[in-house]
Amino acid sequence: MSINSPDAALKQLRLLQLADSALPVGTAAHSFGLETLIAEEALTVPQLETFLADYIAEAGVLEASFCRAGHTVVSLNEILDEAHWLELNFRLSAFKPARESRMASAMLGRRLLRLLLALEVWPLVEQALESAQQAGAEIHYSTAFGLAGGILELDEEATALAYLQQMLTGLVSACQRLLPLGQSEATRLVWRLKPTVLNAAQLSRAKDAGLMTLQCFMPLVEVASMRHPILHTRLFMS
Amino acid sequence: MSFNSSTSESILATRTSSSLGFADLLRDEPSETSPVRMQGRLWLNFDYAASADQTAGHTRLIVRAQQPPLQVIRAFTTTEGAALVHLHNLSGGVLGGDHLELKVAVGPHARAQLTSTGATRLYRQRAGFPPAEQHTEIKVAEGGLLEYLPDPLIPFAGACYHQKTHIDLTLGAGLFWWETIAPGREARGESFEYERLQIQLDLTCAGRPLALERLRLEPALRPLNAAARLGPYRYLTSFYICQPGREAVQWLRLETALLELAQQLSQPGEVIWGVSTLPAHGLIVRGLSQTHPSIVTGLLTFWQNAKQALYGRPAVPPRKIY
Repeated sequence: MSINSPDAALKQLRLLQLADSALPVGTAAHSFGLETLIAEEALTVPQLETFLADYIAEAGVLEASFCRAGHTVVSLNEILDEAHWLELNFRLSAFKPARESRMASAMLGRRLLRLLLALEVWPLVEQALESAQQAGAEIHYSTAFGLAGGILELDEEATALAYLQQMLTGLVSACQRLLPLGQSEATRLVWRLKPTVLNAAQLSRAKDAGLMTLQCFMPLVEVASMRHPILHTRLFMS
Repeated sequence: MSFNSSTSESILATRTSSSLGFADLLRDEPSETSPVRMQGRLWLNFDYAASADQTAGHTRLIVRAQQPPLQVIRAFTTTEGAALVHLHNLSGGVLGGDHLELKVAVGPHARAQLTSTGATRLYRQRAGFPPAEQHTEIKVAEGGLLEYLPDPLIPFAGACYHQKTHIDLTLGAGLFWWETIAPGREARGESFEYERLQIQLDLTCAGRPLALERLRLEPALRPLNAAARLGPYRYLTSFYICQPGREAVQWLRLETALLELAQQLSQPGEVIWGVSTLPAHGLIVRGLSQTHPSIVTGLLTFWQNAKQALYGRPAVPPRKIY
């Protein structure tokens, strides 16, 4: 992304802020099943890099595809395609069998859009929130992130990459609290997985034609998330 | 309820392709040189028939289309008045290149229980043939109940199989639907040696998706024993329990009850179970195991408990030995 103009530089800054793990939407409260996996000794530090690469290759591609689709919900003439927006979120809910992870994603998505509204007046964000509420649809984090990128006129590719980067840092951050994983090693891990993130972004681009060619196979993580409510001790909400 | 089709009832008797001998239908292993690409078809309707005095009734099976290798012989009436039907595949399994179509319509207040006669063997891909395909379309009307309880899929080494299933429920319908995927022919030491399993499931109610599965399992390309996928487990099962119209809070209560069972049945490293409500109208039980028997035990236990909770009566297992 070129930042030779003030407008482009502003977009770049906004994207950096959206992708910042310190964004107060609550990502730090969720492990998306990792807490159970680690408690049941199904995930250890030596396995972590491969695990995260596979996670990004499966769930990352799926979510990034929906993030891109969310980005396209806003047309050039700044009209929200409500039916498409709702359908995206209904479909993504159906892709998430584990209630806690689904609710976590929905909580983050709604908070992200509300946070945007707290920063500036965005009529399309208001419309996205209201239409989902009326239809009883959840708003997922990836679709909300994509929608935010579209409304802020951020580049679709950059938005998908930023989403994936935030997903990865969020998972690594959860692992730091659950495993003997130091800050330096965590940073190296995220650094080394950049090619995986790039590859996932590319695959998600190829799969945006109607979202019909998507696939995701992470049964162990899903079962772990389903079992999270019965863990004796829990640090995370999911 | 019926499917839209130009096929009339008059041609719905069992048909056998004239180019196909009986021996071909019964062979256990496909021949590499076999020119036959099967186009199997089975369309079943289940209708509720009230008794003359309206005090009782039973479910009647209507075979609308039947073309080998798919076949049903007859329906048995269960003790709760449901029609129990065994789905046969005369080929002994799904051969490379086969295209199989199953359509099931369960009418208002009808109760159907479908099972297989054994594990569905997915044979190796035949050179020059497209992947074997199975398309299943299921509709359940208001007050109807479908219990779909097949034995597992066993993908042989080199198998390439695409499966598409669409289950559409009406408000007030009921569904117990499970599917288990085995790693391969374990007795031969064959595990995850298939080429590709592509499984697509759309479970919907009134146009809204309740569950979507898109699995593309290619063990050689993406190791299934990865910690993000199956980890140490080899068998995967998914059990959907739905009854559109029930309040969300009732599903949460059932989730809690079945999670307690899941905890009792789980032994991490050997078998684990999870339970979760779907976005609406039902829940999913998912299990991962090293062995098949623990999957069967778990499924029957969850089914018994969920059936009792939702229908106030016990589940009646099909006439077979598990």
